Amino acid sequence: MCTLDTEVLEARDPATATIALFINGKPCIGFENETILSCARRHDLYIPTLCELDDIDHTPGTCRVCVVDILEAGKDKHQIVTSCNTPVREGMVVETRTKQVRDMQKLQVELLMADHLQDCATCIRHGDCELQDLAQFVGLKENRFFDRARTEARPIDTSSAAIIRDMTRCVRCQRCVAVCRYFQGVDALMMSETSVERLVELRGGGDQANSLCVSCGQCVLVCPTGALGERDETDKALDFICDPELTTVVQFAPAVRVAFGEEFGLPPGTNVQGHVIAACRKIGVDVVLDTNFAADVVIMEEGIELLGRLKSGQKPTFTSCCPGWINFAEIHYPDILPLLSSTKSPQQVLSTLAKTYLPQKMGIDPKKVRVISIMPCTAKKDEAVRPQLQIDGMPETDVVLTTREFARLLRREGINLGELEPSEFDNPYMSEFTGAGAIFGTTGGVMEAAVRTIYAVVNGKELDQIELTQLRGFDGVREATVDLGGPFGEVKVAMVHGLGDTRKLVEKVRSGEADYDFIEVMACPGGCVDGGGSLRSKKAYLPNAMARRETIYNVDRQKTVRQSHNNEQVKALYKDFLEAPNSEKAHKLLHTHYTERRRTLQRSVKEVWDDVKMSTMIY
Amino acid sequence: MAQVAFGVWDGVVHDAQNGKIPANSPLTELKKFDEFDDGNAIRAFFGDRGFFVFDDKVSLIDGLYHYMEKAAEQSCGVCTPCRMGTVLVRDALDRMRRGLDSTLDFDDIEVLGEQMKLTSLCGLGQTCSNALLDVIHNFRDRIEQEVAEHRPIKLQHGMAYMTAPCIEACPSKVNVPRYIDYIRDGKPENSLGVLLQKYPMASTCGRVCVRYCELACRRKFVDEAVGIKILKRYVADQQQGPKALKFTRDMITKPLEDGMKIAVIGAGPAGISAAYHLLLHGYHVDVFEKTEQAGGMAQIGIPSYRLPKDTLALETDIIVELGGHFRYGQALGRDFTIDDLFAQGYKAVFLGLGCQQGTALGVDNEDKARAGYYSGIDFLLKVHDHVGGDSKLDLKGEVVVVGGGNVAMDCVRSSLRLGADNVHVIYRRTEEDMPADHEELVAAHHEGIHFHTLCNPTRIITDNFGKVTGVELVKMEQTEPDESGRRKVRPIPGSEFIMPCDTIIAAIGQQVEDSEQIASEGVDLNRWRTVETDRALSTSRPGVFAGGDCVTGPSTLIYAMAAGLKAARNINDWVQLGTPRFFKRSRMRQLIKDNDFLADDVVEAPVRNMYRVHNPELDPELRKHMFEEVEQTISEQEAYAEAQRCMRCYRIYSVVTEHSIPEGAA
Repeated sequence: MCTLDTEVLEARDPATATIALFINGKPCIGFENETILSCARRHDLYIPTLCELDDIDHTPGTCRVCVVDILEAGKDKHQIVTSCNTPVREGMVVETRTKQVRDMQKLQVELLMADHLQDCATCIRHGDCELQDLAQFVGLKENRFFDRARTEARPIDTSSAAIIRDMTRCVRCQRCVAVCRYFQGVDALMMSETSVERLVELRGGGDQANSLCVSCGQCVLVCPTGALGERDETDKALDFICDPELTTVVQFAPAVRVAFGEEFGLPPGTNVQGHVIAACRKIGVDVVLDTNFAADVVIMEEGIELLGRLKSGQKPTFTSCCPGWINFAEIHYPDILPLLSSTKSPQQVLSTLAKTYLPQKMGIDPKKVRVISIMPCTAKKDEAVRPQLQIDGMPETDVVLTTREFARLLRREGINLGELEPSEFDNPYMSEFTGAGAIFGTTGGVMEAAVRTIYAVVNGKELDQIELTQLRGFDGVREATVDLGGPFGEVKVAMVHGLGDTRKLVEKVRSGEADYDFIEVMACPGGCVDGGGSLRSKKAYLPNAMARRETIYNVDRQKTVRQSHNNEQVKALYKDFLEAPNSEKAHKLLHTHYTERRRTLQRSVKEVWDDVKMSTMIY
Repeated sequence: MAQVAFGVWDGVVHDAQNGKIPANSPLTELKKFDEFDDGNAIRAFFGDRGFFVFDDKVSLIDGLYHYMEKAAEQSCGVCTPCRMGTVLVRDALDRMRRGLDSTLDFDDIEVLGEQMKLTSLCGLGQTCSNALLDVIHNFRDRIEQEVAEHRPIKLQHGMAYMTAPCIEACPSKVNVPRYIDYIRDGKPENSLGVLLQKYPMASTCGRVCVRYCELACRRKFVDEAVGIKILKRYVADQQQGPKALKFTRDMITKPLEDGMKIAVIGAGPAGISAAYHLLLHGYHVDVFEKTEQAGGMAQIGIPSYRLPKDTLALETDIIVELGGHFRYGQALGRDFTIDDLFAQGYKAVFLGLGCQQGTALGVDNEDKARAGYYSGIDFLLKVHDHVGGDSKLDLKGEVVVVGGGNVAMDCVRSSLRLGADNVHVIYRRTEEDMPADHEELVAAHHEGIHFHTLCNPTRIITDNFGKVTGVELVKMEQTEPDESGRRKVRPIPGSEFIMPCDTIIAAIGQQVEDSEQIASEGVDLNRWRTVETDRALSTSRPGVFAGGDCVTGPSTLIYAMAAGLKAARNINDWVQLGTPRFFKRSRMRQLIKDNDFLADDVVEAPVRNMYRVHNPELDPELRKHMFEEVEQTISEQEAYAEAQRCMRCYRIYSVVTEHSIPEGAA
């Protein structure tokens, strides 16, 4: 079962493994209560699986593919059990590939395929699917039970701007439910119906757009098939790029450059900033800008806003750059909305400036500008269509492509990223960035960037120690005190990532138990480097988090300018256009507001009774 | 008694027609299998452990189809083999019984059956192909013959029933695995919906139920029984938050005309439950209650540190929300009679009078004790008034409570909270023999109660004013076990000793309070002075039904609520048809019970240990001075974890009968 108990997830001391057993004749040593599957894996023995996500202890036992033959010590009867949730026992003899076991594994996959839509060529997961892999592992050769009518009767929810839920491809592994429930603590999903009608639904029974879902997309990262995916908008992007009348502007997020190379065979964590710029140029983008630049602008706006709030005794202030977090606050805790910074996110700051400041500087028609934003995030798609974030009826950001869609777009254009000659930014107005903007992509980064600038504003000098290691780390909630000097002195800050921990922190703030001045929130565990729009991994949850983080910090280290307020292009922006941070004009263009979107799930007993499936219903 | 023609049970093949009747065949000792209902012979039976046929003209294909149809309908759909296997096999059998070609032959069906049996996640999938496989393995010639000519099979009658050990153990037959499933699924409101099908007092039950279900839970063979009660309380307590379900009048599908009114006497668990179900059947219900509050023993008999009064009130209010009326301060005999009720046009009367008169110890000088002496039930009533702020009850010094049941435990733990210096329990047998819940005993020990077992009061000692000053006790000893293995106790002559005390509480049992009145109105009592009823809970007086403690003697909340449900069904039948109807699910349960089909078998495959969660409790040092609830509700995450421990030990049973089975009340 999926667990929150992190002790279980930590590597165990091999000395505590005491249970001796045989798997396929090989002597193995297991831990107390360890599953056969995990023991086999530690001993480099392969068992095909589908529903499990062993690294987060998600073994719901739903697919029943990982069956093995066991003979327990002292017993004379062999048994067939699922290895994912059956514990090892002293003297047990396990066989994973007898004829009976192989036949059963194969039949199980065939039964899974009976109501799984197999139009693979049109699937968002084409060529990168755990179910396709599995079919190969078990040697599936026929598909006798497939019932197209039954399969296509299952629903497809297209109501959300961000995520499409296609139940015709769902294998009911419940990974999405587990991640949403146990890791993100959003608990927006539920299992519904019975028998072949069984499916994943949104809690409350409505559609995705009106549910408790915050579009963080962590469910998409763990889905083994194409049942969950982003709303694909690569065609929309191509329409803009291919229209000679339009000026297409691309921006890409801090985290994209460190979480993209794997798709094209580069090692995890490779910085592919130059490759991405080159690829954008090659597909015909007119102007390539950097979201990192906007991150520096956000620090100026949010930093000054924070100081103002501190002066007036308002606290805490929550960051506002993460759209998953904004959705979460609006839907789950609308009473805290006044505590959120009003500064727009870097994506929206860049898009707004690309349609106001940039045309002015470049002498182009702002109405002809289209902004394509490349983000490791599904919630950014939600953000782009927010009514608050439109200019004269036109969206500030015209289309958001997740990292996955961008990969798809490059493949459609025949581009292999790894083979490109890296290029550099060349826009003189909105592409320079500092080390502070770069670290926005990981948990603690926004806070660190903000402190670097706020300290300088308050004290008129730079921090001596530029890397604030006390803000770094990987714990769900971290807190620190920072000496801002001047009239502010020490302030208490907190950084939280992952919505499960965010919920706990928000509860503490609401109850008065927590006393912070400034709180950074990133909805995805680890921050944007493992955002719900990043590349998918198979059979593992967030395996590249550390490599990506490390590269982000290296980008910062390699920058000569590491504070947002020292970004020359940012200085020019304020001098030539915005006047000053939090000026009236800055407020009009770069700040926003939030709206309560609380969902009421109250139902009547009658409605519930109509939904209960049970043969012994009386009423 | 009907003879089995052929069949397989627990793997033992029985084939009388070919002279193969193995020694000790379990199929030679079937009980009560002649007919299902009056004149309706049982032709065949299918279960989780095999099948057997009395009438060899029976179509096995059709019988197995109906069995598998039930499995497919009830498959939860979580795991692959059961979700798809039940449907594929059902459809294949359906085509065969209709004389059509099936895409799957018996070899394919056998492979699917083995897959379901060996690889399914829960008890349903693991057992629902056993009968099918027994047929294919042993009587394949018969089914091949059935389909040989591709002719439709003649319609057969019967029914299929799915249950589980926990369901059968529950007096109210609550579908326990289903409500646990709904928690797992993320639908706690549906979980509560399952409970509300059976009774309105789910939150109360989630706090004080004695949990017959958990005794039957097969998870105990792995680690510990599933925390069924803890989970019930978790879903029921959602009613105290923003997601509370609304009770609306559209729950009543067929409201009846104004004259269709029923009187319920007593607003205890039996009366509340009967009223709830009668309201849902569409009747107009008035509940007559002699006190000023609803809840009965749950109200006065259960201290607020176990069941807060507002929790109970929230649940008794459901009666009002459904349009029922409470008539408080109305005592039978004093304010009205049963004759009056019929004269006022009530179509039927339900007696839920309870059993609230304390039984005396029957020892010397008991009648002289004027101060410091209480029966258990009177004492709890005073505690109730104390907590409610109506009258104060302060104890000091030494308190002695006689008895070993839950009422006695409530008395000792309450005494401590009322200021007693020391509280003593006197019980004539050993602590293992005490009928109180184990948890209650543990809690009492934690709170520092002194236990004195194997001793019994013989005399109450009072001063000149009748004030209790002590109690004389005699030590008891256990006798050697008799033939039944039971050890009795007997006093040890000369072992008398005096225990000085300021208060003595006799908590050894209760009786029906209004027995004389009821008897005078034509309602017969039995020799234990409780109301005599038949299986349909009707009394000797036509139109008068009774249930709960006034029928059974002091019993449990869940039995009382079950009686309310059953009485409501029978009252409805009686009013509509003049007689209770046959209830086929009850008959099936009886068949299963008479023949011990629900084997208490161990869990064979290894299962990872996951110990159950516990209700968080207040610190004993703090709580023993206050009446706030000791146990708290578990968290959502704990509920998810606990719900995952259920192994869903569902089993399906089906009969094929000669004629159609009469359709009873829902």
